[in-house]
Amino acid sequence: MLQIRNLHVSVADKSILKGIDLTINAGEVHAIMGPNGSGKSTLAQVLAGREGYQISAGSVQYLERDLLPLTPEERARAGIFLAFQYPLEIPGVANVQLLRTALNSQRRARGEAEMDAIDFLEYVKDKLVLLGMDDSFLYRSVNEGFSGGEKKRNEILQMAVLEPRLAILDETDSGLDIDALHVVAQGVNSLRRPERAIILVTHYQRLLNLIVPDQVHVLAGGRIVRSGGSELAEVLEHKGYAWLGDEAEFMETHL
Amino acid sequence: MITPIAYQEALSHIDAPSSFAALRQTALRKFLQAGLPDSHQEDWRYISLEHLERMPLHAPLAPSGVLPALEDYPGALLAYQDDRLVWQDTTLPASVLGTLTDAIGGGAATWSPSAFGTIAGSGSVGSSLTQLNAALWREGACLRVPAGERLRQPVFLRFAAAEADAMLYPRVFINMAVGSDAILVEHFLGDPGIEYWQNPVTEINLEAGARLTHLRIIEDSNLATHTGLSAVNLDQDSSYRALNLTLGGLVARHQLDLTLTGAGAEARLDGVFIADGRCSTEQHLRIVHQAPHGKSRTLYRGLADGRGRGVFDARVEVRAHADGSDAQQSSRNLLLSPHAEIDAKPQLEIYADDVKCSHGATVGSLDEDALFYLRSRGIDGDNARQLLLQAFIGEALGLLDDTGLRDWLMPRLLACIPRSHPKESRP
Repeated sequence: MLQIRNLHVSVADKSILKGIDLTINAGEVHAIMGPNGSGKSTLAQVLAGREGYQISAGSVQYLERDLLPLTPEERARAGIFLAFQYPLEIPGVANVQLLRTALNSQRRARGEAEMDAIDFLEYVKDKLVLLGMDDSFLYRSVNEGFSGGEKKRNEILQMAVLEPRLAILDETDSGLDIDALHVVAQGVNSLRRPERAIILVTHYQRLLNLIVPDQVHVLAGGRIVRSGGSELAEVLEHKGYAWLGDEAEFMETHL
Repeated sequence: MITPIAYQEALSHIDAPSSFAALRQTALRKFLQAGLPDSHQEDWRYISLEHLERMPLHAPLAPSGVLPALEDYPGALLAYQDDRLVWQDTTLPASVLGTLTDAIGGGAATWSPSAFGTIAGSGSVGSSLTQLNAALWREGACLRVPAGERLRQPVFLRFAAAEADAMLYPRVFINMAVGSDAILVEHFLGDPGIEYWQNPVTEINLEAGARLTHLRIIEDSNLATHTGLSAVNLDQDSSYRALNLTLGGLVARHQLDLTLTGAGAEARLDGVFIADGRCSTEQHLRIVHQAPHGKSRTLYRGLADGRGRGVFDARVEVRAHADGSDAQQSSRNLLLSPHAEIDAKPQLEIYADDVKCSHGATVGSLDEDALFYLRSRGIDGDNARQLLLQAFIGEALGLLDDTGLRDWLMPRLLACIPRSHPKESRP
């Protein structure tokens, strides 16, 4: 589904990603771990099409097409979803307005009929239950005045509504208490499908106890320095990132 | 220098009640002495009326007799074209709603002219334009809601311009008697592509406990000049709520002079202005708390695109003994192009104790992070931008729900929100 080859990315002439290689197949869950400043969030943002990054080398193929020339909305319509580490507050835009406008934009792009307000409410009802949210969330302004946990749940609600092919969850576990973490993890697990791939970007292992990945990659200093099965996450939890070697250690102390 | 002849010529064509002839002459003389406001006056520092001097301005000729195509107005309607009443659709008695000329000429028993001309006369800095209106208004409109009465439907006053280079002086007088309640909509517009000058004056008097909700919409042609004044007097425990929308005009200026003369009066002043192309728009507010326990709340949202310019200039004065006054101001503005400009100038002058006053003003650009957030959900850039802009101005549009006029107004308003700039076409 996704093939990243030798991806180099810089911001304002500062090199952040220095040759990423990663292949993700449909149905798989991949975790990308790593110390702060290793480039995890940059990778997530670049895949979603955020402007302001220079791609100096490499390629990204998604569903047999070149991803990099696509605008953020084209990527979303092709099935890519990014759950933000810091979801934006948008006063004056109701959650339900965002959800329905987004879904209908995507349906239109796929040549499907738009959903009217009544059908949409029916459609979104089960998804709210899944995330333990009540109807009032629909009518509040997007993320305005939401607690940290509510914002993260709201991201997963958007994912549930938009039904992406490739979901990238950027530190969705950060700032969550243990109960909220369980709700979010349960929501994500229920969205696992054979045709859907998920990338979990996280600093900590605790999320991976609840959403067990097929593969774990350790990103350090802009490169993937280790890949392995879910057991790799446990090793990291016990030993920290330092044991990965000089390069990672250097990057962690100097960046 | 502008020639006085055009103005004198205009005055000679007005066949208004003779009781006002002397007043008109005096007003014109005062205007001619003062001339058009210029940039030496603080309130006119940003905007220039010099172009008026170069225009062949004249009083409008008699209308063609062809009725203009009217939009749907959900309420009572007086429709003016080039300062003459051309259509009315109302079941209200003439003693409540009619032309100002009729109100003054007839029904002397119900007419108490003491307030007429005095509300707008006091304090306004750019008052030479008010004098000009006092000299040259025709027909005009008058709404007098009797004590305790609540009008079931909104009253619409439509002031349209159809003749190029016309100078127009809409004049409105509103008296809300004790405990009365009404919704008023003033709609200023003109044929697209013609130059003209509207210089309206609206005086509003709210007696004790009266309530008025007032929508004022400037939708003049993109070559027009609009220099309007609303002057409002609030007696004890009265309530004035306004939504001022400036969506049209090449040069559009609105001055709102509001005085809380009675204790416990409340004013809520909302506004949205949009300046794109080469338009400049100005909002000047003067809010004077003269009596104790008055409350005023100002909330304006401004957008400027292209080479558009906007000014938000609001001064709140809390006079001595106006204790317990509560005045809040908020002005937030967005610049949508690198050549656009908005100046926000909130001011507070407080001469009383025990007051609660605050103001906040911001000028910024559209939040790129929020834009990316929406686009990453599949909403295209233009629609994402529209959503954010609608939400931004939506903060000032709460009165639309209270008046039931949201469906009527929103299509007009949305059509005025600047679209994104088309990408340069590639060869």
